[in-house]
Amino acid sequence: MSESRLKKVLGGGHFAVTAECGPPKGADPEVIRKKGRLLAGYVDSVNVTDNQTGVVRLSSLAACVILREEGLDPVLQMVARDRNRIALQSDVLGASALGIRNILLLSGDHQSLGNQPEAKGVFDLDSMQLLQTVRQMRDKGIVLGGDQLSSMPDLFIGAVENPFGDPRSYRVARLAKKVRAGAEFIQTQCIYNITRFREFMAEVRDRGLDGKVAILGGITPLKSARMAEYMAKSVAGMDIPPELIDRIKAVPAKEQRREGIKIAVETMEALKEIKGVRGVHIMAIEWEEVVPELVEKAELLPRPGG
Amino acid sequence: MISAERKPFGEIKASIRPHRKILMVGCATCVAECAAGGEKEVGLLASQLRLDAVKEGREIEIKEMTLDRQCVYEFIDQVTPVADQYDVILSLGCGAGVQAMAEVLPKIHIVPALNTTSIAETREAGVWLEDCRGCGDCKLDYFADICPVTRCAKGLFNGPCGGSKEGRCEADPDAQCAWQLIITRLEETGRTASMDEVYPPANWARKQGKGPRKIVREDQRA
Amino acid sequence: MEANQQGVRVAIFFCRQLDPDQDTHRRLLEKELGPRIRFFPLPCSGRIDPLHFLKALETGSDKVYLIACPEGACRYGQGNVRARKRLSYARGLIEEIGFAPESFELIYAAGPLPVSIDTLSRQLLGLGPARSPAVRQAPGSPAIPEKKGETVAVKHE
Repeated sequence: MSESRLKKVLGGGHFAVTAECGPPKGADPEVIRKKGRLLAGYVDSVNVTDNQTGVVRLSSLAACVILREEGLDPVLQMVARDRNRIALQSDVLGASALGIRNILLLSGDHQSLGNQPEAKGVFDLDSMQLLQTVRQMRDKGIVLGGDQLSSMPDLFIGAVENPFGDPRSYRVARLAKKVRAGAEFIQTQCIYNITRFREFMAEVRDRGLDGKVAILGGITPLKSARMAEYMAKSVAGMDIPPELIDRIKAVPAKEQRREGIKIAVETMEALKEIKGVRGVHIMAIEWEEVVPELVEKAELLPRPGG
Repeated sequence: MISAERKPFGEIKASIRPHRKILMVGCATCVAECAAGGEKEVGLLASQLRLDAVKEGREIEIKEMTLDRQCVYEFIDQVTPVADQYDVILSLGCGAGVQAMAEVLPKIHIVPALNTTSIAETREAGVWLEDCRGCGDCKLDYFADICPVTRCAKGLFNGPCGGSKEGRCEADPDAQCAWQLIITRLEETGRTASMDEVYPPANWARKQGKGPRKIVREDQRA
Repeated sequence: MEANQQGVRVAIFFCRQLDPDQDTHRRLLEKELGPRIRFFPLPCSGRIDPLHFLKALETGSDKVYLIACPEGACRYGQGNVRARKRLSYARGLIEEIGFAPESFELIYAAGPLPVSIDTLSRQLLGLGPARSPAVRQAPGSPAIPEKKGETVAVKHE
């Protein structure tokens, strides 16, 4: 029976490394296998997104199974947007049965943002309620309503938090609530403003949350100045300091990727030093090839024994 | 009030084709308030239909009526004596008005001229904002009297999501993030402790029903 | 279409504040053009309703004008601003049925007020001066200064 590598690495006191893998807009499993092979040995676990931004992609659950066959430890991402509580709880059981040992629960981007804007957004449960639900399925062996399960799913349960989202005054309180609801690990939205993140973590520690949940800082390497500007302007909950954008702009277009990688590595190094941060989560969407380089340059190799 | 908007002219015109004698029935309550189906709006649509008919060399006869409430049979009774003199009734009532009229006059062809949307408030003159989606399980006081089902695009009970930006919603930058509003109001009135507990999964059965939800009050029955 | 073409029927809604003697002055054109012209005085241009525009078309006018007070000079504050919004809505409604939005026009008179509705209308419609100058003003009413050859009406919407 498989076990969660992420849980083991964290439990052993190591600084964890996870990365995100985006499934294709198609039915070809080889795409996933290729990405998996790229990441193997460089990360402890691999997240698979769930129809991110409301765009139809190969399902997270299927992609997780494919990655597992490649020997990786997948993190199933599950959004509240597309399924009701019957389907969600059913998929939790299914995931566990298929040997998936990590699950990340989130609300999901609004359906109007993707390629199915006329779809009904389900949101039968929200991410907080979903956390509670999965936790009690695992620990108490019951579904919502109290019916007993014949066997319990075995999953390491995670949630997301955005230290830079609004309202700012509420973000740490919300993290605390997620922990209370059942989150065991947290992956944050990508970090560019390390100063502000340090403030966030100080408040997290003040509340004693660092002892209760494993926080992994999010990293997304910037590919260009244009990407940085776009993200700063158009993506919700993004804090990219203007000095950082200027830094990339100052470099000729051909070298902006290099600079983006440099910045990412610097951020990873900084995260290693912040008390309470237990790892990094690299979201290099459609640029998974850069993950090995980032992990290597941030001196996070070798990964603890598989 | 129940909020509604007039359908595009082309759609209305197509739905009453090829009838010549049209009885237009408005409603003086909700849809008059949101300037969609009151007496004035009946007048405007009737005028458009007549001008359009003249332009195309068609004959048309339109009678305009506006009921106090189109969802109450006693008012619909004003329509009954004249209904069969017309080929079609074009209703400017909300969905309940159209259907109530059809219950009273099942043999008459009744066509809706409005798209009924929600339950709204008049935010300011000329602006109507949706407040309630009839979930049947009102817990507004938990949420500083801001409905998360209606005003949060994702209907979150433990929001906000990560997409809230400067009080704006990720799904519609013109819309306010309901959870920003809720948190702000709670902070300003010292009630944030209520946000510490996880609000449990909603009972959607009260919204969906098993078909149309019905309220029966025996003390009110004949 | 040019409003002074033969056969074009015109309705003119106008703000009474423009011309205190509008009752007299409008009769000059009413007499000259007969049923081809109809005047509708309003207490303020902001009192126009889209239904007025549509009804004017329905009852035989080809072209409808609304003459409002100069910008900033509305006695009631925002009336002439509201007038523009209602014109816009009314245009939307007739566009839906395939009529030209220019069938409705909003004109802002040039200051200073008062200005004769007769003069305004003639300028608007491209017509010559009144045929019987003797009837121009009611007996006893104060003379309205008019500068020959100068444009009185301004700004078409």
